[in-house]
Amino acid sequence: MPLAEAIANPYQPSLVRIHDFSDETPDVRTLRLQFVDDNEAGGFAGWEPGQFGQFTVFGAGESVFALANAPWRPNGDQKSVPTIECTFRMVGKVTSALRAMSKGQVIGFRGPYGNHFPVEDWKGKDLVFIGGGIGMAALRSAMLDVINRKSEYGDILILNGARSVGDMVYTDEMPGWQEVDGVKVVRTVDPGGETESWDGEVGLLPNVFEGLGLDPENRIVIACGPPIMLHYLFLSLGKVGYSPDQVVTTLENKMKCGIGHCGRCYVGPFSVCRDGPVVTWAELNELPKDY
Amino acid sequence: MTRVTDSSWKLTDAQLRAWLSGLLDGNSVVAPVEEDGVLLFRPIASAHQAVIKPSGKTRWSPKEFLFPRSEALYRYSFKGGTVQLEDPPVPEKHQVLFGVRSCDASGLVRLDEIFLSGTTDRLYSARRENTTVVSTACAAADQECFCTAVGYSPVGEEGSDVQLVPMDEGWLLRVLTDKGRDLVGDSAEGWKAATAKDGKRLPELEKKVSKQIERSPVNREWSKVLEEGFEHGAWDRLAQHCLGCSVCAYVCPSCSCFDMNHEANAWCGEQCRSWDACTFPLFTHHASGHNPRETKQERYRQRVLHKFAFREEDDEPFRCVGCGRCVALCPAGLDIVNTVAAAVEAIREEGADAAR
Repeated sequence: MPLAEAIANPYQPSLVRIHDFSDETPDVRTLRLQFVDDNEAGGFAGWEPGQFGQFTVFGAGESVFALANAPWRPNGDQKSVPTIECTFRMVGKVTSALRAMSKGQVIGFRGPYGNHFPVEDWKGKDLVFIGGGIGMAALRSAMLDVINRKSEYGDILILNGARSVGDMVYTDEMPGWQEVDGVKVVRTVDPGGETESWDGEVGLLPNVFEGLGLDPENRIVIACGPPIMLHYLFLSLGKVGYSPDQVVTTLENKMKCGIGHCGRCYVGPFSVCRDGPVVTWAELNELPKDY
Repeated sequence: MTRVTDSSWKLTDAQLRAWLSGLLDGNSVVAPVEEDGVLLFRPIASAHQAVIKPSGKTRWSPKEFLFPRSEALYRYSFKGGTVQLEDPPVPEKHQVLFGVRSCDASGLVRLDEIFLSGTTDRLYSARRENTTVVSTACAAADQECFCTAVGYSPVGEEGSDVQLVPMDEGWLLRVLTDKGRDLVGDSAEGWKAATAKDGKRLPELEKKVSKQIERSPVNREWSKVLEEGFEHGAWDRLAQHCLGCSVCAYVCPSCSCFDMNHEANAWCGEQCRSWDACTFPLFTHHASGHNPRETKQERYRQRVLHKFAFREEDDEPFRCVGCGRCVALCPAGLDIVNTVAAAVEAIREEGADAAR
């Protein structure tokens, strides 16, 4: 057993300052955070796409958000310091308190936690990212990472769905993503969610995906969204001929500790915070339906 | 298991009390104490307070002395537009858990498997490192006991640094670890060395107590059956009487789930950890409103399966140590051993997919 004095407190967060934010929708905000102490930033090892962090509003509590910006890959640049971005929807006590904070205020961050998308294994393959609503936040880090290194990957298609036009996230930056050769964005809203000026698709994500008629050969599908969307999407994927190995998703469960101790996020033997959140559809099929 | 080495002694009741009394010098000693007719683990100030019996267990397990019901994980204060963070101090005084039943000592090892695996829990590991466990083997089973039905033993050594074995007269004291040796120290001078014959008491007791526990054993192969029958309709019937009060989890020596919340005012606050239970509806409730375990059937099933299924290796012990507290204290009379047996029987008879 290691000496107690030498053990760092896994629950004590680093302090990060709200440098900037952008409002994606009336209730979804993206924060850009900087470490208060540059030394702490230097000790921070960065993250891989798909990992998440615990964000503390002191006085209110902690919430789990995906690390949403491109992974920090300093390439020997001594001056490079990581910044952290997260996108959250205002739904509960902590996220409401976080939403009420302004630029310059200090919150807590601990992480990164969990496993990550196998972005290195995807090299040379065509990729389809399918994000429903705020599910896009969990995909953004991976999307930005592969777009930044586009020459190493095949075609990239981003299929983004939302309930309505007003619920679309990352609308400001999507045109920039499409400027990269071989990257295409298809956007859809649920029927009834369109406006007169809407020029995207109208329809549920699984149906729109089927309509694209993408050949499963040499293609990876990365999907994140509400459970009901994933349920019907998997049915569509099976129908079109995708094998469970080539479909990757993330499990979302209520989490508290982030290190596999508090027992809250178990799906059978699988602790989402420690063993997940990234799973293939094949792995998901092995787990009990408890998520 | 029955090997008696030079680290075993035969003590009279008076010698045991004298040793316990000596332990109070420099240690914080926690032992069973009777309060209003209820046996509870409490820090003691005098050896006479301790109830040292050949059988009988405390109402609560001793887990709260390693994993408190509620504690601050870190503290903070708001100062000049920023926040100052502070770790709570780790306990310095050595702790002795005295008179822990074999099942409860195993329960502590089940906690170790959670809190010391992967990222180590700072506060738990500090306490654990600073704690010596003196266990007491059982000469008789309580009515609710079922340790032998789930792969544990009334004379089990797991989790014990020193084991006390009740003899016809006096006690057999066995040192099992280096920590135990340190705790005994010079006290052994004047104690009578145990003989090989004294050591035969262990298998005798195991046989005797096993006979008193008239429960059919839970087979290790049942884990797979329970997992295959995860969606079996029997769970509706088996959980029907569960009130969701979660007393089972609170008295359980191996239940380790916890909640984390912030307690704060305008100047300062702390992140607070408290015991929680998978049998509460809010335990898995997402902020979005989605709840993977919306019904009590799903929650009760989780508790039972987390004890008896989802084991990675075949020789991995069950996470239920058989103390029986949940059976004795359930207000609805639920019995986890009967539940497991009934679930397995239904899954086998009706097939794993029988509808709900």
